[in-house]
Amino acid sequence: MTEYKIVFTGSMGAGKTTAIGAVSEIPPIVTDVTNNDASHGKERTTVGLDFGQFTLDNGDRVRMFGTPGQSRFDFLWKILSKNAIGMVILADNSRPDPLAELRVYLEGFADELATLPCAIGVGRLQTHASPSLDDYIDELARHQLVLPVLDVDVRQRSDVILLIDTLLAQLEANLFGE
Amino acid sequence: MSATMPLAPGATSIAQREAQDLLDQVEGVNTVVVATVDGFDVASALRTGEAARVAAMASSISAISAVVSQEARLGRNKSVTIDTEAGFAVVHSVYREDAELVIIAIAHGGALLGQVNYRVAQFARTLASA
Repeated sequence: MTEYKIVFTGSMGAGKTTAIGAVSEIPPIVTDVTNNDASHGKERTTVGLDFGQFTLDNGDRVRMFGTPGQSRFDFLWKILSKNAIGMVILADNSRPDPLAELRVYLEGFADELATLPCAIGVGRLQTHASPSLDDYIDELARHQLVLPVLDVDVRQRSDVILLIDTLLAQLEANLFGE
Repeated sequence: MSATMPLAPGATSIAQREAQDLLDQVEGVNTVVVATVDGFDVASALRTGEAARVAAMASSISAISAVVSQEARLGRNKSVTIDTEAGFAVVHSVYREDAELVIIAIAHGGALLGQVNYRVAQFARTLASA
């Protein structure tokens, strides 16, 4: 049995905790607390880590770690991404400037993104059509990155599994690493 | 980004005064920060460092210790001590009706752990009832 570690990151409210909870076979470990950030209407926010796991059809196990979204917790980003085989960056398209928020993670995880498979999941596209998926792809291109960008609703287990499958497909195709 | 301070103004003043007293009165302590549970500094007294960064770290430590307490069914978490080669840090939870807070005190190796623990716990009780 192979074990994979995947990191979920992205802006506050993009659904990292929800995504992990949607697919985890165990009660997810969450470290959410009361949110006092006036710029965000969320009631609670992750300040430590999220953790969940699930088993693939072939018996391999995926361990999922979620980071806090806010950059004041960037000291945890490096710790949590250590030994990961892939990364999911979630974006919330209802935010005032989702592409600027995406840039925070592209820059914060620049070292990891140079070697790890990554998939971008964009949420709330149905209600907030702009920026489009093409705009995300253009933003990635400005960072010399070519990554899959998917329209997702992370409350749906199938959408989260699609993100993970996208990472694993990149690994199998050996698009990264040696 | 800005924090909506959940604390009554009187409690913030007490937090600031007590943080400064702890820094001034306990040998070896070089940083005292009171933070919200989501990592915003509410009051601080520091000889070095940056209150905002220390506050974020304190809230992460506290949240992770809360999960450990919960998973192990040990009740509500109270404090965490990080013992290092050159000193230690004590992170203490404060449960108020209007807000949950975290106090972190960082000291170098010359400080007495028992003394710092005692003073931080006393600070937490004062702040909880303020």
